[in-house]
Amino acid sequence: MTFIDVKHLKKVYTSKLGSKGTEALKDVNFSVEKGEFISVMGESGSGKTTLLNILSTLDSATEGEVYLDDQPLSSIKDKKVSRFRREQLGFIFQDFNLLDNFTLKDNILLPLVLSRKAVDEMETALQPLVERLGIAHLLNNYPYEVSGGQKQRAAVARALITQPKVILADEPTGALDSKSSQNLMEILSDVHQNGQTIVMVTHSARAASYSSRVLFIRDGQVYHELYRGDKEPDAFIDSISKSLLVSSKGRV
Amino acid sequence: MKISFFSKMAWRNIKSNRKLYIPYSISSVLSVALFQMMASLMTNDFVRQRSSTLPTLFGMGTVVIGLFSVIFIFYVNSFLMKRRKKEIGLYSVLGLEKRHVAHILVIENIMVSGLSILAGILVGVLFGRLSFLFLNYLLNLPNAVGYSTSWGMTGVTALLFIGIFTLTLLYNIAQVTFSNPIRLLKGGKEGEKEPKSSPILFVIGVLSLGAGYYISLTIDNPISAISQFFIAVLLVIIGTYLLFTTGSIVILKALKRNKAFYYRPGPFISISGMLYRMKQHAVGLANISILSVMVIIAVSTTITLYAGTEETLNNRFPEENNLSIMTDDEMNSRELKSAIQTVQGDLNELSSDEGYTMTDQYFFRYVTLWGEMEGQTLAFKDFQGVSEIPLMVLIMPVDDYNRLAEDPVTLRGDELLYYAPDPDLERESLTLFDKAFDLKQINNMPGVMNGMSQLIDPILLVTPDDSTLDTIRAQYNSELAEYPVTLSADFFWSLESSQNSMAYASFIHEELRENDYPIGLFYESRDGNREEWYSTNGGFLFIGIFLGGLFTIGAVLITYYKQISEGYEDRERIQIMQKVGLDKETTRQATHSQILWMFTLPILTAALHTAFAYPIVQKLLLLFGITSNTLFLLTTIGVVMGYSLIYWIIYRITSKLYLNIVE
Repeated sequence: MTFIDVKHLKKVYTSKLGSKGTEALKDVNFSVEKGEFISVMGESGSGKTTLLNILSTLDSATEGEVYLDDQPLSSIKDKKVSRFRREQLGFIFQDFNLLDNFTLKDNILLPLVLSRKAVDEMETALQPLVERLGIAHLLNNYPYEVSGGQKQRAAVARALITQPKVILADEPTGALDSKSSQNLMEILSDVHQNGQTIVMVTHSARAASYSSRVLFIRDGQVYHELYRGDKEPDAFIDSISKSLLVSSKGRV
Repeated sequence: MKISFFSKMAWRNIKSNRKLYIPYSISSVLSVALFQMMASLMTNDFVRQRSSTLPTLFGMGTVVIGLFSVIFIFYVNSFLMKRRKKEIGLYSVLGLEKRHVAHILVIENIMVSGLSILAGILVGVLFGRLSFLFLNYLLNLPNAVGYSTSWGMTGVTALLFIGIFTLTLLYNIAQVTFSNPIRLLKGGKEGEKEPKSSPILFVIGVLSLGAGYYISLTIDNPISAISQFFIAVLLVIIGTYLLFTTGSIVILKALKRNKAFYYRPGPFISISGMLYRMKQHAVGLANISILSVMVIIAVSTTITLYAGTEETLNNRFPEENNLSIMTDDEMNSRELKSAIQTVQGDLNELSSDEGYTMTDQYFFRYVTLWGEMEGQTLAFKDFQGVSEIPLMVLIMPVDDYNRLAEDPVTLRGDELLYYAPDPDLERESLTLFDKAFDLKQINNMPGVMNGMSQLIDPILLVTPDDSTLDTIRAQYNSELAEYPVTLSADFFWSLESSQNSMAYASFIHEELRENDYPIGLFYESRDGNREEWYSTNGGFLFIGIFLGGLFTIGAVLITYYKQISEGYEDRERIQIMQKVGLDKETTRQATHSQILWMFTLPILTAALHTAFAYPIVQKLLLLFGITSNTLFLLTTIGVVMGYSLIYWIIYRITSKLYLNIVE
């Protein structure tokens, strides 16, 4: 069953002066099944972050459409878009985007507070989540008091607490050391096992190897994809790396 | 070559950071200008000639403004540096040595602070002159108050601010030197820690504020009001700072603990936001509150003084013409009476020779003693060198009282008419020098005596005849031989309304200059005093409004800078929250309620302080002859409302600036 459907997506950035714009996305087509864990890989400037921004309604497409659960994203009215983002999507960012003036607990609860949920409802949602992520003992700490890996786990908790339809992750391991990265990817993988749909943008072949499918994007187009199938993780990394190598060679 | 490279770099830095440097320079220039104007006032001719206490008062004011400037410029600088740390860190990473960075900072500082000081002094001189011109035009006083720029004080201003800017420079260089590039690169993002609340300081704050309020509420006479006033002001200032810094945190944390309240979008964003920056901004809020109280008190008291000039004149001079009469030790009340009658006869004759008609003539004789109530006994002693304020006792014979009072009285030989200013002093009978008298109470002093009773509320005793008064005076003088008291008298009269009182006053002055009466005479006319009182009180009003203006500018400056700096701090937070689903409308609501709190808190505090300062300030006004409560009350309410309006306008403008930055 197709859950996210991306059709003929095109994005052109026009500068104020020049009439000729920069084409970030040319013609992107792909679909995501419910419960899939997709990685999007590509070089800098390939358009992957633009793609993620459009998926997350932070940016709008010039042409084409994204359907989430058969609903076209462009049909969401401006006033509803924040609510949509809050309730249907979960975000994980490269630089965590936790707020320094909130404790980890309050950071995690932020989307629920914005949705005006009752306090006990929040607490019941919070407890199992933070235990699963191993940050239950850090709830009353502030972001600047914990490590990068712990921050990112709090960010994951914030993304998950609304039980979103899709998790959108933008280079989630970008600011983490290899051990924390591995730990985070195991968590995401675990979340995926529980049926969560995830779309992740990454540079790292190792991070991408945890997903069920990898999309390669170049010059604003999806030019290749790899299914993990029942490959061993190491074997999957190899094929991802080869694909990346081919892609950069093909360019030169 | 190198120098020019660094100067070019410094200049480019300032230009590229102009979003930060424009508010910084505006704040510096205005601080310099404020200080310059305040300091110049200290050497102003009007201020120096009117009263010896005014220059001291303005000296204190100047010191306060100086302290404000130090705190404020450091605050402004810390904000600037926090924003620029990343850039400075980048220089180190790119290979500039620390001394090179310091070099650039020095040149930048010289450029910005030099220009700020020059511009500030220029603004101070110009604005000082213009505002004096404008105020003179607006108030249309009989004597214009002149403005003089004091070049000595301008030098002091320049030196002070060179000092302040040098200190900030040293602080900045130290920060760069003792930090590594990586930390500098992250500097702008470094989280401020959640402030700790100290219950002890909170309690001290409450006590200090309470004590200040208590002094104001319980003060009962204007003489002690002067000395107590400054203690009360000091206590309230300390209390305000402590309560803002600790109390706000205590309250915000309590609100945060209330989960059902806290976990809703508006409070969630605004409480955490306020708590996060309270440590830094509580001082700013306290500054605004105190400046606001200063504005309100300065303006409302001086307006009251000016508007109440007529009342002051009426209290001091019951009739148009006033003759104060002094005697020597020898003279008794009967002799005084006949001497007054001689003078009265002569004056009537002289006046009618010149074509004037004296009307409403009356006089009263009295003696002033200082005593102490001990049970049923009024005891007299030497109060020299004693700190307690003795009871003032006015004694006059019944004939004179009946001339002043609306309801005449008759008294038995062992009876005294008695007015007690205080319910504690009410008695049935009273013993004076071993003689017991029955007392007949009255509830009010005769209106004519208002002028005598406004500073200290005296006891009034009315004796059944002249000889009783003489006896009491004689006994007092024999017991306290060192300080004999003498009889005094006041003689009042008016003229027919068509006659020129000013010409008459100078005629009487002339006639009484040389005389051979056995009594001392001191003549004053109400109209003759009017011009002088209006010009003095007008001058006070002038200075009150000028100071009010200066303090308002100070308050505006702080709020303006607060809004801008908070805007930059909040922008990133709001953007993150919008990414995870905060909508524009909630953003607006939350920021609005946050700004609203930050704005209403100081103005509410100022209003509260004003309300509690009211009794003590009212007592101080008595010293200037203002006895009407309604005048001061209405003026104060008017000034508070007017100031709130100005403040509201500032709020509208600066919150728009804030929202522009945040969105």
